[in-house]
Amino acid sequence: MSVLKCSGIRYAYDKKTTILKEMNAAFETGKMYAILGPSGCGKTTLLSLLGGLDEPDGGEITLDGKNINKNGLAHHRRCNVAFIFQSYNLIDYLTPAENVALTSTLPPLPLLEKVGLTQEEARRNVLKLSGGQQQRVAIARALASEAPILLADEPTGNLDEDTAAEIAAILKECAHQMKKCVIIVTHSNELAKQADVVFRLKKGELLQA
Amino acid sequence: MNFVRRAGFYILRKKGKTISLFLLAAVVSTFLISCFSVLNAAGMLTAEIRKSIGAAFYIRANTSVNTDENGRFSMEQNSIRITDEDIAKIMQCGDISYCNPINYGYAKGKELTFVPGEQDNPDNNMGQVTALRYSALHTDFTDGTISLSAGGHITGTSRSAVIISSGVAAENNLSVGDTVTFVSAGLGIDAGSYVDSWQGDRGEVRVTIAGIYDILKEHSSAAETATAGKQENRIYASHDVLDALKESEPSVYTGEVDFYVIDPAGLNKILPKVHQITSIDWKTHFIRTNDFQYSKISDSMLSFSNLVKVLLMCITAVSTVILTLILALGIRGRIRETGIFLAVGISKREILLQFLFETLTITIAAFVFSCAICPVIQGNLENHIFADFQTELIISAAPENGMGAPLEHSSYFNLGAGKSFIIYGCQLITVTASVLLSAVPVLRLKPKEIFTKMS
Repeated sequence: MSVLKCSGIRYAYDKKTTILKEMNAAFETGKMYAILGPSGCGKTTLLSLLGGLDEPDGGEITLDGKNINKNGLAHHRRCNVAFIFQSYNLIDYLTPAENVALTSTLPPLPLLEKVGLTQEEARRNVLKLSGGQQQRVAIARALASEAPILLADEPTGNLDEDTAAEIAAILKECAHQMKKCVIIVTHSNELAKQADVVFRLKKGELLQA
Repeated sequence: MNFVRRAGFYILRKKGKTISLFLLAAVVSTFLISCFSVLNAAGMLTAEIRKSIGAAFYIRANTSVNTDENGRFSMEQNSIRITDEDIAKIMQCGDISYCNPINYGYAKGKELTFVPGEQDNPDNNMGQVTALRYSALHTDFTDGTISLSAGGHITGTSRSAVIISSGVAAENNLSVGDTVTFVSAGLGIDAGSYVDSWQGDRGEVRVTIAGIYDILKEHSSAAETATAGKQENRIYASHDVLDALKESEPSVYTGEVDFYVIDPAGLNKILPKVHQITSIDWKTHFIRTNDFQYSKISDSMLSFSNLVKVLLMCITAVSTVILTLILALGIRGRIRETGIFLAVGISKREILLQFLFETLTITIAAFVFSCAICPVIQGNLENHIFADFQTELIISAAPENGMGAPLEHSSYFNLGAGKSFIIYGCQLITVTASVLLSAVPVLRLKPKEIFTKMS
């Protein structure tokens, strides 16, 4: 079991506006976490710090006891984490199968089938897929990386209720069956209900709901 | 998926951007190649014009001014003495195409009479002999005083050959290929009368009439001239004729020696070297240069050449700026893609390599296309821009020194593989630098900053 741990994390915009203050948290593989909070409270910033897109002003983030910056944040992003974005962020000149194969040598079609895409859809232009289908491709791409941690930023933000529920189920399956640590930042209480652990980020502190 | 595959997908699927960049690179490279072709053609044309016009310098004898013990001045005309050895040294001083040494003498005809002049009688019925190596280069022919009407010119390989006037030919019923015999003669004045002043044994030579000339410009005083001084009695002969008449030494020239320089621009470098030849007595010899034609047009040629260069510099600068800006915009527009690549763990180096590979592939394809269409454009430029200019300017200038020939201009616009590759190479360097300079600021952003820009 891998553990992603935050110890005394501090972060401020422009070194003035404090977003996170002495934050402590631990995230384990095999569980789905949801982080709720009002807009601008620092949810996405926390996700960026966990994913190695940014560095904290103070404190330490470790994975299995090792600082994630030990081998460089690029290495952390490449090997340990996979991102799922609200706006899917697929490469528009690649097919779904090619998007999934961007950084992976795993065959993309089984992964796409696992998230509910047909073979025909897997070879279509990504821009011709619906929002839900694009988010499934993004999830398949995240799974293809074989990273133990999936970081999802508002993954159902652009989707209708039914599709959002399907995506939530897939993410839950990733956590429980594939033993990934799924951390979701969301405004959606419905999605949060699917999580094993729910945190609320308030005034720079992460509190378990 | 490696960067080559990603680049390949981008090129194949982003058709609009690929075609735009392809067309831009093709237009810029074709435009630049065409402009450099024009510069090349202008340079070659200028050089050809200079060569066609040519220039000459003449070694002649100067005049000495002497003062006797009573303080009286007298003028004395020196004669030159230039040998074949001297000529060989001078020919090595630079790009000299021809040398035309000249000796002068007189000859009487054994079975030939000259057109009578003033006080003509059998004793002074003679003609002046101008022995030379190339009759076509003699000023009488080049300035249009006379013109060859039949036969050919005397050249370096001619032996016992003469060119006579059509007047003498008609008087004696001679034509090209006939042979006549000349004997030595000298022109003198005794008691106000023209006489044959030759003393000693006379030489005799049988010569072949190689050519016949017509007089185009008659001297105003021609009627009052002695027989030997009349233009129509002038004989142009190969050097061995005067040698046989005992009026010259073989390989020694006492009349004047003319040298014809291929490129007039090189005349100033040649003359100092000639002056350093010590076997020639420069107290009694002087050099007269003839680059009048060149000096008349050299300023215009220089202005033309400079104008083309300035235009080309402007075109190159503008083309480079346009290409660089469009490439920069293209790369900056891919910030979202860069962010996604970074987020999925693709390194900055790989992203940069992909951008470079895409751009260079499209650019090289554009260069290949440009290589294919440039000859067509160059051919059209050849036909429409320079054809008239060339025929009017060069060909009219070329025959003036008697050696000119219509110029082959088919290769003027052909830059050659070497120069073309240098231009394409410079463009590739520019494109590479543009991609790097445009991509570096994007890649230097932190991933978080990229995502902020993305959102």
